[in-house]
Amino acid sequence: MDARRAEGEVRFEKVRKVFGTNLVVRELDLLIRGGEFLSLLGPSGCGKTTSLRMLAGLEFPTSGTISIGGRVVNEVAPGARDVAMVFQSYALYPHMTVAENIAYPLKKRGVPRAEREERVKRAAESLHLTELLPRKPRQLSGGQQQRVALGRALVRDPRVFLLDEPLSNLDAKLRAHMRAELIELHQRVGRTFVYVTHDQLEAMTMSDRIAVMHEGVLQQVGTPSEVYNRPANLFVAGFIGAPTMNLLRGRAENGAFAHPAVRVGLSGHVTPDLVLGLRPEDIVVGEGPFESRIRLVEPHGHEQIAQLDIAGGDVLTIRADAALPLAAGETLRWGVRAARLHLFDAASGLRLDATCTAPQALAA
Amino acid sequence: MKRILGRVAFNLFAWTIVLVTAFPLVWMVITSVKPQFELFRIPPTFWPEQITFEHYARLLWETPFLLYMRNSLLLSTATTLLVVTVATLGAHSLVRFRYRGRERLAQLVLFTYLLPSVVLILPLYLMMVWIGVANSLLSLVIAYTTFALPYALWLLRSFMQGIPDDLENAALVDGATRMGAFFDVILPQALPGIISTSLFTFILSWNEYLYALVLVNTDEARPLTTGVMNMLISAFNIEWSLLMAASVMMSIPLIVIFAFLQKFLTRGFGAGGVKG
Repeated sequence: MDARRAEGEVRFEKVRKVFGTNLVVRELDLLIRGGEFLSLLGPSGCGKTTSLRMLAGLEFPTSGTISIGGRVVNEVAPGARDVAMVFQSYALYPHMTVAENIAYPLKKRGVPRAEREERVKRAAESLHLTELLPRKPRQLSGGQQQRVALGRALVRDPRVFLLDEPLSNLDAKLRAHMRAELIELHQRVGRTFVYVTHDQLEAMTMSDRIAVMHEGVLQQVGTPSEVYNRPANLFVAGFIGAPTMNLLRGRAENGAFAHPAVRVGLSGHVTPDLVLGLRPEDIVVGEGPFESRIRLVEPHGHEQIAQLDIAGGDVLTIRADAALPLAAGETLRWGVRAARLHLFDAASGLRLDATCTAPQALAA
Repeated sequence: MKRILGRVAFNLFAWTIVLVTAFPLVWMVITSVKPQFELFRIPPTFWPEQITFEHYARLLWETPFLLYMRNSLLLSTATTLLVVTVATLGAHSLVRFRYRGRERLAQLVLFTYLLPSVVLILPLYLMMVWIGVANSLLSLVIAYTTFALPYALWLLRSFMQGIPDDLENAALVDGATRMGAFFDVILPQALPGIISTSLFTFILSWNEYLYALVLVNTDEARPLTTGVMNMLISAFNIEWSLLMAASVMMSIPLIVIFAFLQKFLTRGFGAGGVKG
C-alpha cells in the first residue's frame, strides 16, 4: 500500500505557464501526497485548469518541473504518465459504445481482449453501468455520461485521477449524489485525486486538502477546516464560505480595532490599517453592543440571511435562526464572537496573528 | 384562405423551377434514345415514336468513349484521394496546433482560390513540362489539386472546428499517440465532412474542362469532358444523338455516387458525446 501511495505523489516545482503575454500560472509550488484528494479551487481564469492540464501533459509548463511518483514528467507524453482524466464535457467518444469507451485506454495499452472485457465488466459493475454497456453516449443522460467518463478513468487503475469540474454540467440534486459517489470511489481505489472546481462546496465536502488559487498564484493550501477557519489572506477569506465573510476596513486604535460601527479589543501585533473579517455565522443576533437597521431579509427555510446597513456606509451580512422575527426597516442589536474573528493587514492582505478579545461599546 | 393561396403560389413557384431545371435533362435522355431521323423532325416529338440504343452502342464500341471514361474515373478518384488526404491532415493542423502564422496561412490558402484559373494555366503547363509530366493524367491530377485543395481545406477546417478539443485530449491521456488519436477519434467525427468534401472534389474534377483542354493533348490522357467535345463537335458538324448519349453516361457515375453517399452526408451530424 505504501508503494502505491508513493507512486501517486505529485510535485509542482516553480511551475510557470505563459500564453503569449498572458501569465496564467506563476511559480506554482505544490506537493500533492500520494492517495490524497486535493482540490484546486478558485474562480474562473485563476490557472487551476491550466495546472491540471500541465499535470496531464496537455500543456507544457513554460518553466519549472512537474513530477509524478518522483519522476519528472515534463517531457513525458500524456498517455505515458499513467494518469486518467475526467473532462468537464466528459469527452466520451461519440462513435463508440459505452463498453468501447471504457475499453479504449486498455486497448491503447495493449491489454489482451479477454482481460479487457473482464476489467470493463468490473468497472461497469462498480459504477452501475452494466446495462448501458451496449449504448452510445448520446443515448445516455448527463449523469450516466459522467459515470462512463469515470469508468474510463477507473478501468486503468491509474496513479493519479485528474478531474476537471466533472460535476458542473449536472443538476443540483445529481451533483450532491455524485459528490458522495466520488468520495466513496476515492476511498475504494486509494489513488491520488486532483480535482479542479470553482465550487467551494465541492471542494469543502470532498477534499483532504484544498489549494486555493487566484490570478495564477497559489493562495493557500490546507485542509478544508484550515482554509475555512484560518484563511491566509483576504482573497481566501472572501472566497471561502457562503454567504461570504464580511470584511470591514478599520484602524488600530488604543489596542482595539476601530470602525464606525464596530469596536473590538485586540491582542498581539497588528499593523495600523486593518481589515476585520466576520463570518455571518460568527455574528450574534439579538444581543450585543452594536445596533443597526435591517436592510433586507432573505428567508432560507431553516435560517434567514439578513443584510444590515451599518455606520460607515458598509453592509453586514448576518445569519439568524428562522424563528427570529426579523423585518426590513427595523433595528437589530448584534454582537460578535470575538475569538472567531479574522484580522488582515489592509496593505498586504495577509492574515495577522493577532486575536480579537472582546467587542467594545462604541463611544457614542 | 390566404394561407392556402400562399401555399398554392409557393408550390407553383417551386415546381416551375424544378421543371425549368429538369427539362434539359429530360430532353437529353429523350434525345439520346431517338433514332437519327426523328431528331430534326418539325414539329419535334416529345415522346420518341421509336426507342433505340444504337447511339449508345456506337459510342461504346466505335469510339474511344470508354477510354475517356477510364481516364475520367482514374483522374477524379486520384484527385479526390490526394486532395482529401492532404486537406484532412492540413485542416487538423490548422485547427489543433498552435504555430506562428497559422491564421495567416489559412487566409493565404483562400487567397489562392481567388485567382482565376486562366491565369494559372500557362505557368502550370510550363511547370508540368519542366518536371516532365506534361500531357499525362498525372499532370491533370496535380492541376486539379491546385484548385480543389484550398477549398477542401476550408470546408474541412470548419468541420474540424466543430469537433471538441477535449475528445482528442481524452484520447491522448488514454494512451493514444497523436496519430492514434487522429485515426481513432478525429477521423470518425470528421467523416461526414470528409465525405462531402470528397463528393465536392470528385464532381469538380469530373466536370473540369479548361485545364484538361490546355494541359492534355492526347487521347491516352483525355478525360470525358474534352474527349467527348473533341470527338463529337467539329466545325462542320455536331453529332447530337451521340453527344446526348455521352452526356447521359457521363452523368451516371455522379448519380450513383450521390445516391450511395447521400445517407452518410447527414449521418453523424447531430451525434454528440459531449454535453455543454
